[in-house]
Amino acid sequence: MTEPIIPPAPEVLEAPAGPYVYDYAASPQRQVVMPKTVPLPSYRTYLAEVKAAAEADEAKWKKMQADYETAKAKAEAEGKDAPKPPVRPVPRKDDNDLKTPWPQEAKDADLLLLQEVLGAKVEEIFEQAGELTCQLEKGAIHEALTLCREHEGLRYEMLADQSATHYPAANDFAYSVVYHLTSISRRKRLRLRILVPEGFVPESACSVYPSANWMEREIFDMLGISFANHPDMTRILCPDDWEGHALRKDYPVVGWGQRDVAFREDRGGMIERIALQKAGQLGINLKQPKAD
Amino acid sequence: MFKNEEMEINLGPQHPSTHGVLRVKLRLDGETITHCKPVIGYLHRGVEKICENQTFFQGQVWTDRMDYCSAVANNLGWAEANEKLFGITVPRRAQYIRTLLNEFNRLASHLIWLATHALDIGAMTVFLYAFREREDILDMNEAFCGSRLTTTAFRIGGLREDMPPGFEKMARKFLAKFPTCLEEYENLLSENRIWKKRTVGVAMLSAEDAIALGVTGPVLRAAGVPYDIRKAFPYAAYGEMDFEVPTQTAADTYARYLVRMAEMRQSARIIQQCLDGMPEGPVMAKIPKILKPEVNEVYHATEAPKGEIGYYLVGEKGSTNPYRFHVRAPGFINLQSLPKMAEGGLIADIVAAIGTLDIVLGEIDR
Amino acid sequence: MGVMQPSAFEQILITTKVEKVMNWSRATSVWPVTFGLACCAIEMMAAGASRFDFDRFGAGIFRATPRQADLMIIAGTVTYKMAPVIKTLYDQMPEPKWVIAMGSCATAGGPFDSYHTIQGVDKIIPVDVFIPGCPPRPESLIYGFMKLQDKIMTSSLADRYKDIFEEVG
Repeated sequence: MTEPIIPPAPEVLEAPAGPYVYDYAASPQRQVVMPKTVPLPSYRTYLAEVKAAAEADEAKWKKMQADYETAKAKAEAEGKDAPKPPVRPVPRKDDNDLKTPWPQEAKDADLLLLQEVLGAKVEEIFEQAGELTCQLEKGAIHEALTLCREHEGLRYEMLADQSATHYPAANDFAYSVVYHLTSISRRKRLRLRILVPEGFVPESACSVYPSANWMEREIFDMLGISFANHPDMTRILCPDDWEGHALRKDYPVVGWGQRDVAFREDRGGMIERIALQKAGQLGINLKQPKAD
Repeated sequence: MFKNEEMEINLGPQHPSTHGVLRVKLRLDGETITHCKPVIGYLHRGVEKICENQTFFQGQVWTDRMDYCSAVANNLGWAEANEKLFGITVPRRAQYIRTLLNEFNRLASHLIWLATHALDIGAMTVFLYAFREREDILDMNEAFCGSRLTTTAFRIGGLREDMPPGFEKMARKFLAKFPTCLEEYENLLSENRIWKKRTVGVAMLSAEDAIALGVTGPVLRAAGVPYDIRKAFPYAAYGEMDFEVPTQTAADTYARYLVRMAEMRQSARIIQQCLDGMPEGPVMAKIPKILKPEVNEVYHATEAPKGEIGYYLVGEKGSTNPYRFHVRAPGFINLQSLPKMAEGGLIADIVAAIGTLDIVLGEIDR
Repeated sequence: MGVMQPSAFEQILITTKVEKVMNWSRATSVWPVTFGLACCAIEMMAAGASRFDFDRFGAGIFRATPRQADLMIIAGTVTYKMAPVIKTLYDQMPEPKWVIAMGSCATAGGPFDSYHTIQGVDKIIPVDVFIPGCPPRPESLIYGFMKLQDKIMTSSLADRYKDIFEEVG
């Protein structure tokens, strides 16, 4: 008796996740490379890094000395010549015009004033490359912006720029939103920064600085951070039905294939018109499905 | 019967005026605009995303194509932002040549503005005149950079090459004839009755509104605020130059025309000073071939012909690409004020309002 | 001998095909639609202005509406948001119509290999002449336009609709 032949079940291909398909394997240089570090400038991190580097350097020097001692003892025991004593390596000096701007302690009066008035809501203040940075608690941004505009000693009249950055490698936040303020009367610039986790809705700056309107729409379009109390929180650059947020680090440069539109090459629709007319005379519905 | 009945009109995106692919949704009561909403994004090319995936040196090519009327000004902002990020000091001769090229570029950009603005309002002759002088400036661009429009003029740390032989002679020849050309334009327009009817009192924007909306450049200066980044936060060689910041108080389209015409005179003055006081020396700083930054973020703003162009760069330690590349485009911010200018005015005047903002959609949509 | 002497009739008249006259008149008065998208539009304007003077080729009358135009010069980057607009404008142009893709963006996407850029306008509408360059100089545009004139001069009505007649039968 023979076993009944069971036809093998047809292999079900998994449907692609989105409506668009793009062959990333065909172009390896276009694959997404996720960042591994969190390049968030900070004086506190810098100090910690410098301290860690100094300790590592010291430990290395200690180890070299210890190695030398053992080698010396061994050489003496064997009656050989003593090895050369170690020399502490000096950092190499480059002969070029680069002078890396490291973060420095905040000495500017504006930053100190902000810290004095806002108190614990200021997370960090520092200066780097001649620019003033003040990192705030994420809920206090509206208060800080109002203070910067209204306070007699600050008077930052203009919001020059607002932008955001995606940090996928960070643990406790996903985006940083930066506000660049300009004081026309005092000729000063100031950067405010908040760190925002995924899904958090920061307060909009529109009520304080109306110029934030389009900039926040751009941030929403490009990174997907929406702002509370914004008059018109819609996409601005990409069309309304666009999928994905382009400036996130997990978004490929070539997109998800939306750009590969194909229209039928038919001058003035002549072929289609004639074909439809002929088909209509015969009673056939020839209407081809349109390219989606 | 027709009272309280509003009509909706769509202006663009195919050439609302000679300024690119801008679309404006308008609601009209008769001929008066009651509601105005600009819709942008028809030239969104993803410059920021592309530049984040290129090295620091390569990014310049895309800055050319943002504001294509003033590529050199974009290059200057880009180069200086990178130099701030890495802490590079640029040699003095390179600073002077940069200033020189940037001012020539300002002339070219303002000439394009004059030509297209006048063409929109109906003065055809100025278009032909202004393009005649602009071709001379493009010849100089070509002599220096090898390209007319998309210059890629600078490098991080200075310039690729010194001035070509004969460049100074060309520049001086141009400067000698340029004041008479300016007088020609002014003869055609300044006292022209039609021009005045179309511009005086049209598209007003007060200083308070302009500052609140973040408007910079000639539009802000025509409202009486003497804010020019070349003076307020001097960069390149502008600290050593002697020039004035022209302002007007009328805050209308005609005042902006006067401000830009005066700015062209000041630009010619700066070019003259650059040529006369050109220092000797190298044009490139000593920097390594591959630049890798430390963790740092910079926002560097320079005065482009349209207003404040700012580059926001974030450097990642050990990476050759910028972690974040953001451009604060002057046109993007300035265009926000279009509803304020146009609402309450006539439908015919919105073309003047778009023209006077001097927008370029390449930098607005990026 | 085999040589035919021109008849008296032929000596006083120039004979030609109607089609050739039509082509000649079409090629020497091509009206482009003003359709600047990006950087190349500035060079297109420069081609129309003082030094280069596009009018010499009968193509200086830039029409603001596609319904009065024969030629569409796609001068600049075509984006995803703009593509349907271009298709609509092209469909609104009356036959016969021609398209020049000016610059590398309109030809193949150019330097903008990104999510929102269509990689060449030929994905949307048929193109007759491609002009390389980023942006092409006005001379390049003029050369490309002269190529288009050649194409118009050698085209025939039968060729234009041959595909259609063969396909539909």
